[in-house]
This record gives sequence, structure tokens and C-alpha cells, in this order.
Amino acid sequence: MEARRDIFQAIADPTRRAILGLLALHAMTPGAIAENFDSSRQTISKHIQILTECELVKQEQKGREIYYHFNPIKMKEVSDWVDQYRKYWDKKFDSLEDYLAKIQKKKKNKR
Amino acid sequence: MKEYNTFKQEENLLIHTRLLDAPKDLVWEVWTNPEHIKEWWGPNGFSLTTKSMSVESGKIWDFIMHGMGRDWDNKIEYVEVKKPSLLTYKHTGAESEDYNFSVSVSFEEVEGKTLLTMKSIFKSKAIIEELNRKVNAIEGGRQTLNRLENYLKLLVESNKQR
Repeated sequence: MEARRDIFQAIADPTRRAILGLLALHAMTPGAIAENFDSSRQTISKHIQILTECELVKQEQKGREIYYHFNPIKMKEVSDWVDQYRKYWDKKFDSLEDYLAKIQKKKKNKR
Repeated sequence: MKEYNTFKQEENLLIHTRLLDAPKDLVWEVWTNPEHIKEWWGPNGFSLTTKSMSVESGKIWDFIMHGMGRDWDNKIEYVEVKKPSLLTYKHTGAESEDYNFSVSVSFEEVEGKTLLTMKSIFKSKAIIEELNRKVNAIEGGRQTLNRLENYLKLLVESNKQR
């Protein structure tokens, strides 16, 4: 799915991972984030933009300042891929089992 | 029936098995009929619309999943179709060809039930490792991740209480 691919791209970059690490501790303004890096403010704000686009980071206006927050819900999508895949299909097979039970019961009732 | 419900990785394969309490023909039917497949396929909480489905080698299942406030277009191309025992398909249209994988699902009768074996076939073992590496790529973050985990637990709990 597209949204998931976006997250992978977002966290593939070490600077963006570092930004996430900072924001996980507390909300920060773009200026305060940039102070932690050697890169230009412009570069950092590009990174923040990418993180915002895939919703790993949320922005909040406080007076004249914009604060960025880490959005942990989105990070839930990012855990071990194989494990996710296994869990996903385990759940699907549960649904399949339930559905098979349901339609077989229906058939029996008709007889 | 625990021993029938397994998951393992072998080289470039991820293999799932599940013993289903239903005859093989019926299991085939719920995988290949749009009316049935919409009842269980796709992420929980999503609904599904089939635009077209022809379960034949080289033909496609064209469908949309609805969820998280948007529509997700999907296409599956059937590769091998041996009713009612084997179905192989591949997802098409992924951005990078390397990450594409195909899936083979086989149905076998065991003690009056149906043993489903699903093999997800990747181009190489390295691709699976790459996928794992990518999603585990959060650095400097054990603490962050622990915090995250605890926070998520809280969220899940509070959702339950609602």
C-alpha cells in the first residue's frame, strides 16, 4: 500500500530518523530542530516536510511558532516486516475460518 | 490442531499453513468468488469492491479496498489456476519490481478438513532481509521505541474502554 511505502522512505534517511528521535522526547520548533544538525535550515525543513507528509510528525500552531510533534500511531506501522506479514495473514486466516464456519452453518440450517 | 498452524521462512519463501474446518471445494470457492472473498480479504475494518475477477491463468482480479478514509486500488494477476487445489498469483503495479512477490496457495484434504499452505515467493532471501532492515531502521531509538510501545499499549487500552 502506498502510505506504508512512504513511511519506509521517510525512515530510510538517517537525518530523518534523528529528527524523529528528537521529537519523540518533546515537541520542537523547526528552528530548534535545525540547531541539532550541521545541515542548513532549508535542508532540515525539507526533511520535516517529508515526515509531515507521511504523518510521522504533526504540526501545531502556538502563537507565532509552529511546533512539531512525533506521531507514534503512525510508527505502529513500522515494526519487523516479516512479523507484520505473518500477523496480518494469521488474522486473515482467522477471518477466513470464521466465515467458513458461518456459511457452513447456514447451509446446514437450510437442509 | 496446533501443529497445522505454522509459519516459517525458508530462503526466499515465507510459508504459512492453516487447517480449515471445511471441505476443499468450499475453501476454493471463498478464495475465487467475489461475493465470498469480500467477507474476509483485506485489513480488518476495510471493505472491498471487486471491479472484475476472472480466475484463470493470465487473467486478473481488479478490486478496490476502502479504509482509513480512502480507496486503495489493487490488482492481482493469476498465474497458475488448478481448481480446487492450487492458486498462484502476483500483485502487480508495485513501484519497485524487486519488491514484487508472488503467492502460491494450495489446498489439501486432511482428515476431512482442508490444509491451506500459503507460500509467498520473493526474488531472493536478500529482499526479505532488506524489507526487515528497512523497517527496523530506527536508530538511536531503543528507548524511544520502548516509550512508544508503552504509549501504544495505553492507547489500545483506552480504546477498549470506549
